[in-house]
Amino acid sequence: MNKKGYILKLSELIHDLPKEEKEDILFDYEEHFRIGLEKGRKEEEIAISLGNPKTIARQIRAESMIKEAEKTTSANNIIRAIFAAVGLGFFNLIIVLGPAIGLVGLLIGLFAAALSITVSGGAILFVSIFGPVLEWGMYIPLAPIVSIPLGIGLIAIGLLFIIGVFYLSKIFYGLSVSYLKMNLQIITNRRNK
Amino acid sequence: MNIQFKKGVLELCVLSMLGRRNCYGYQLVNEISKNILISEGTIYPLLRRLKSEGFVTTYLEESTEGPPRKYYKLTSLGLKKEEALKSEWFSFAENVNNFLKGSNM
Repeated sequence: MNKKGYILKLSELIHDLPKEEKEDILFDYEEHFRIGLEKGRKEEEIAISLGNPKTIARQIRAESMIKEAEKTTSANNIIRAIFAAVGLGFFNLIIVLGPAIGLVGLLIGLFAAALSITVSGGAILFVSIFGPVLEWGMYIPLAPIVSIPLGIGLIAIGLLFIIGVFYLSKIFYGLSVSYLKMNLQIITNRRNK
Repeated sequence: MNIQFKKGVLELCVLSMLGRRNCYGYQLVNEISKNILISEGTIYPLLRRLKSEGFVTTYLEESTEGPPRKYYKLTSLGLKKEEALKSEWFSFAENVNNFLKGSNM
């Protein structure tokens, strides 16, 4: 393969990376060819010693996606990172996918529970204050002296619960990213053989 | 050679070369591949990682032979990393040598 073919192949393989990053990467390989030519080597010879562009692209892509997921927390990023890792032959993932989905379900369930506690506290508070005034046929079978603190208490507990779930999700996200990184390391080591 | 091992050694070689002087990519690849058999293209992803982890920085410098080249320079964090890896390597190598000579048995 000559210089043009090699650079073109590599740029196709990393076409979906951010433009700036892509240009930066291609610049490095173009420079490598240029200096090699200045030293009197042949294009084909340089291409061979650089190694297969597919191997290089795989390494770059997986590292880039995981870095992106680490930098900006979003479901989309983590999914992209997972697919990039799967592309590397990351079958380990399929084994942990079941428990991971279970954990996500648990987090959603906890969040729903936290939200309903907060809302029910709000409802109790609202009805104990405005129930007698509005005459909507809603009433709380408790004296206001009990039901108002009860409502406030439930709101407070619910909000704390929501915060807790939020932190749990963050921990879970962080763990997923480091798990992917660990696997990436194992795989790129194997590929470099 | 063991791959995990080779990858770590490659990182150490890059950091150590940059500890002596600032280099452009081709120079690093050329010097290292003289001594160790590597797929040359894998040094660039390694350099990108070292840069994103803050161990090296890059700058462009004019060359007498053509357009400016991208040089790599060790940061103070990189220098610390280089020293730590190097001493780890020396003690490791010494232990292995002793073991192979049988003086520990």
